[in-house]
Amino acid sequence: MFVKICGITRLEDALLSADLGASAVGFVFAPDSPRAIAPEQARAIVEHLPACVSAIGVFVDAPVGQVREIAAFAGLSAVQLHGRETPADAASAGLRVVKAVPATREALDGLGAWPVSVTLLADAMDGARRGGTGRAADWAVAREMARCRPLLLAGGLTPDTVAQAIREVRPAGVDVSSGVELAPGIKDAAALRRFFEAVGRESSEGLPAFGRRDPDERGYFGAYGGRFVPETLVAPVEQLEQAYLEARRDPAFATELSALFAGYVGRPTPLSEASRLSAAFGGARVFLKREDLTHTGAHKINNALGQALLARRMGKTRVIAETGAGQHGVAAATACALLGLRCEVYMGAEDMRRQAPNVARMRWLGATVRRVDGGSRTLKDAINEAMRDWVARVDDTYYLLGSALGPHPYPLMVREFQSVIGAEARRQVLAQAGRLPDAVVACVGGGSNAIGIFDGFLDDAGVRLVGVEAGGVALDPGRHAARFAAGSPGVLQGTRTYILQDADGNIEPTHSVSAGMDYAAVGPEHAWLRESGRTEYRLASDQEARAAFEELARLEGILPALESAHAVAGARRVAREAGPGGVVIVNLSGRGDKDMDTMGEGLTDAAS
Amino acid sequence: MPRLEETFAALRAQGRAGLVTYVTAGDPDLDRSAQVILALDRAGADVLEVGVPFSDPVADGPVIERAAERARAAGGTLATTLDLVARVRPAVRAPIVLFTYVNPVLAMGEGRFAARARAAGADAVLALDLPLEEAGLFRRTMASAGLDLVFLLSPTTTDERIARAADLGSGFLYAISRLGVTGARDAVPPAARALVERIRRRTSLPVALGFGLSRPDHVRQVGRFADAAVVGSALVSVIAEAAASPELIPRVEQFVRRLREPGDGRTEAP
Repeated sequence: MFVKICGITRLEDALLSADLGASAVGFVFAPDSPRAIAPEQARAIVEHLPACVSAIGVFVDAPVGQVREIAAFAGLSAVQLHGRETPADAASAGLRVVKAVPATREALDGLGAWPVSVTLLADAMDGARRGGTGRAADWAVAREMARCRPLLLAGGLTPDTVAQAIREVRPAGVDVSSGVELAPGIKDAAALRRFFEAVGRESSEGLPAFGRRDPDERGYFGAYGGRFVPETLVAPVEQLEQAYLEARRDPAFATELSALFAGYVGRPTPLSEASRLSAAFGGARVFLKREDLTHTGAHKINNALGQALLARRMGKTRVIAETGAGQHGVAAATACALLGLRCEVYMGAEDMRRQAPNVARMRWLGATVRRVDGGSRTLKDAINEAMRDWVARVDDTYYLLGSALGPHPYPLMVREFQSVIGAEARRQVLAQAGRLPDAVVACVGGGSNAIGIFDGFLDDAGVRLVGVEAGGVALDPGRHAARFAAGSPGVLQGTRTYILQDADGNIEPTHSVSAGMDYAAVGPEHAWLRESGRTEYRLASDQEARAAFEELARLEGILPALESAHAVAGARRVAREAGPGGVVIVNLSGRGDKDMDTMGEGLTDAAS
Repeated sequence: MPRLEETFAALRAQGRAGLVTYVTAGDPDLDRSAQVILALDRAGADVLEVGVPFSDPVADGPVIERAAERARAAGGTLATTLDLVARVRPAVRAPIVLFTYVNPVLAMGEGRFAARARAAGADAVLALDLPLEEAGLFRRTMASAGLDLVFLLSPTTTDERIARAADLGSGFLYAISRLGVTGARDAVPPAARALVERIRRRTSLPVALGFGLSRPDHVRQVGRFADAAVVGSALVSVIAEAAASPELIPRVEQFVRRLREPGDGRTEAP
């Protein structure tokens, strides 16, 4: 949830807000406001803000020239127009604009007149200003507005009312000022804390956790990451980084993504308690984070939509992607169809064979599937081809990479788009189990679903974070994809991380029953987290994954993707280790329809 | 004086642009690859780029990718590439530039690689996927072994990065004629000259232009504004086509001699 703390006049209030998780702080430049601040003072505060917190200036019917001048001087990332400004004024500002509109029927009818580049803020008058009954009526109108457009909600919110406001209006963000103050312009630290707690508990439409844990400026997480690309890609990757850092500071970007998560992807996805599976495992209560229930059936859509929005924002008209299991290809094709972008997906010939249903889905979604016959004809080779394509067409093409891999900023960006999984799961497990889990288990191919769910629990030192790699058929070269178990640090496809390589530094072939796990490198942040001791990694073999697939199907009525089945298999031991009374979350990253052919090939005795 | 510096100084003194050739080490096998390199030198190539076969050549087009596959199938690795250089060095006049992806070098260890490359008689290293930002320590290691480090510059490279490459690089700078991977093309794009001129304004290092050059007229055209022209995929195609033939070496030699012929209007290839 996007949270803006408005009416800031003191540095300490701005820093506390940022620390508590504010997406933005607001400065009032209307001279007759009790919270008015001079541009010089605002600038002094903005200079100290973390990069991930936006500074928004509030103006009431100020001349455009003055708005621009103050915005440039104070370093504002957006301006909020709070007077009688018209859509034409907003369009002509040449800045990112938040426009406040009253939560009235009249304003609701006129919503369409505001350009989509303008973020709308509904100013719902609180009870005191309306004389008692106004608020509920306003919130009903605001709810209708929030259905039409990503909406920020303001107007007398307090730590005590914000939860209900979020429930009733379902805004993309909230804006508070007087509700967290000791006196006009002086924030109350305790009230701020309570406000954020209430928002955290209640925000049903999760937003990615932007800017919380950035790599260093060269894109390194410890010794892993970086940007090992051919020279031609250096400038495009730098432009991508700039565009991404700017986008995540822009409330309009966050609110649009948040609205898509809620209204298109079907977020939040449930956290389902798997009672019969728990009993079969004979240990902790097992909860499944149901990314299989997202639109398109896997977590990949979270990242695909985020990056497709970024592609559109960058003015790119053509999107390329690689895919292994086909889930990212489907997600990319879906996001591109939704946003009207051309989409071409590179896929290894071997993966096209074993994930045929996803090939058909991509084609129905209007994407061109480009067959890759080089190398091992799987995910790694598809990435090589996509990078070759990108080098040749950097001007009009956006490369929509599907996992937390590749050159900086991809590992960061993909993790932040996927962080919504962990944010939701944490809130849900607290509500449903009344406590944090003992462990969170996720499969690790490139590592995007795992890093997404781990992100929500990284600061909870007592929660074990367990990644499960593909053990394949044996830990011999070419028969598995266990980078941590059998690999070593090296550079592949733009990033320094653990890879499977021979003594000469050539990349070894990999094997996994699941196409999405069949890859020779792992996301660099995983390598770093593992080295720091925060995360641990285990193996599940092809056989164990197949068995887990069957077990989950029969005990819980859920067909998991074979990738996710690795996580289920890994959770068996983790659940025993946690013991009765323990709680374990498994990230069920995708659904298994695509794997029917693979599973059918090898029905075990138990299933025949 | 380092060989590359000497070579480019001599070219300037002669008022002539140089020819840089690329082949993948060990293509089609180590013995014939050694003969190919000797033939290139005999035919008058001014600088020899020797490519290290790698499993995932992401900056290369299909022609050089296939060459790496052939070389690897015949046992080619970074170590055999260095052996190959050591083997041909005594008989070769031209400077030798090792053209590699970074991972094989990291797997060998940068220090060990530098020492072995120098002992083998290599003159310089060009790492395709090691941009300036990642190259600091690498450069010092190469420099302390007496190896030049050559950087690629692309039409997308900013002026500021050109200046940094000129600072960090030595021997020469390699300008990429176009966006895209390696591979023969029909014409020299106009942007190539603009890039070379942008580079010239920022450094006195020699500039070689490559990517896509395949014919004698390309080489002559590039010679009018760059210090050297690089021919890679077209030469690798000659090797691929003649790999099974006893004519391999004469054909390579003939191809390179034709690339070097002065233009008289009659040698334009189709």
